[in-house]
Amino acid sequence: MGAIDSFGAWLATTAPSQFVNNHNWVWPIRETLHFMGLILLMGNVGLLDLRMLGLLKELPAKPLNRFVRWGIAGFVVNLVTGIVFFVGQPGQYVDNPAFHAKLVFLFLAGLNVLAFYATGMSRQVEALAAGDDAPTLAKFIAATSLFLWVGVMYFGRMLPYLGSAF
Amino acid sequence: MPFLIWLRDNSTSTWIRESESVWAYPTVLFLHTFGMSMLVGLISAIDLRVLGVGRQLPLRPFARLLPLVWIGFWINLVTGTILFAIDAPTKIENPAFPIKLAFIAVGMVLVKVARRELLRYEPGTSPLVDTRDRVLAGLSLAVWAGAVTAGRLMAYVGTRG
Repeated sequence: MGAIDSFGAWLATTAPSQFVNNHNWVWPIRETLHFMGLILLMGNVGLLDLRMLGLLKELPAKPLNRFVRWGIAGFVVNLVTGIVFFVGQPGQYVDNPAFHAKLVFLFLAGLNVLAFYATGMSRQVEALAAGDDAPTLAKFIAATSLFLWVGVMYFGRMLPYLGSAF
Repeated sequence: MPFLIWLRDNSTSTWIRESESVWAYPTVLFLHTFGMSMLVGLISAIDLRVLGVGRQLPLRPFARLLPLVWIGFWINLVTGTILFAIDAPTKIENPAFPIKLAFIAVGMVLVKVARRELLRYEPGTSPLVDTRDRVLAGLSLAVWAGAVTAGRLMAYVGTRG
């Protein structure tokens, strides 16, 4: 048994884990919230991505930051509800290849956000007035963002099928 | 009902339900989630704008999102029909199922209304949104929250297939 497996086995014995498993309403509520977080994240981050890609060119870009905040809120909801899943049933995840792929895609999505700031694209995009075209690099980052978040969703959905989570 | 049993037991349904292939049931389920993220993700973003998020933004361009909303809807009508068919005799008795369908029907009527309402606003201006549109946007958010909740609960109520 590796260190990760032992960690999973230990986690399953803790009080928060037992709570999740001993209350049969926790799992469906957590799942519903995880879907709502997904909707907020995809819809609101997608909005900025679509602006960069040119679909919503008539919109000045800066006020779209207000929507990105809702997307971040969705991400936080999913981080918390995701941790509740993990704590409840660590055994379903630690060895699950779909879970590993989901973490890789999450990590890459994070790097993509960093690249958006580090390359100065965030500032250039913020300055876009109605009708302005986004720089090519920003379009590339936007397309990458959509691809990676759909990938996160894909591997989340595959948890029971590529691995053994329910 | 013989028709529902045929829906479940024909060879296509049986393959989707019983194949070990990741391209069978898991892919249909993923596409249903993906369609939901397009449909509900974008319509809720429009609703948030109408309710005052990013109020400097003109309203009319948001109508450009509606074709994507409809693509999400069609993806989910097709994948949802498949998910129903492969387990029809059980799904028809799931108490959450008619509730989900009713919420979706109201939600899609509101999408039709949204198109007309968004196009009423002048291009390039960020006008005050009238109260009627705010009420419609709030109703839309509530209805989609209901649809998603009922959809999720289908896995937990009724007899499992």
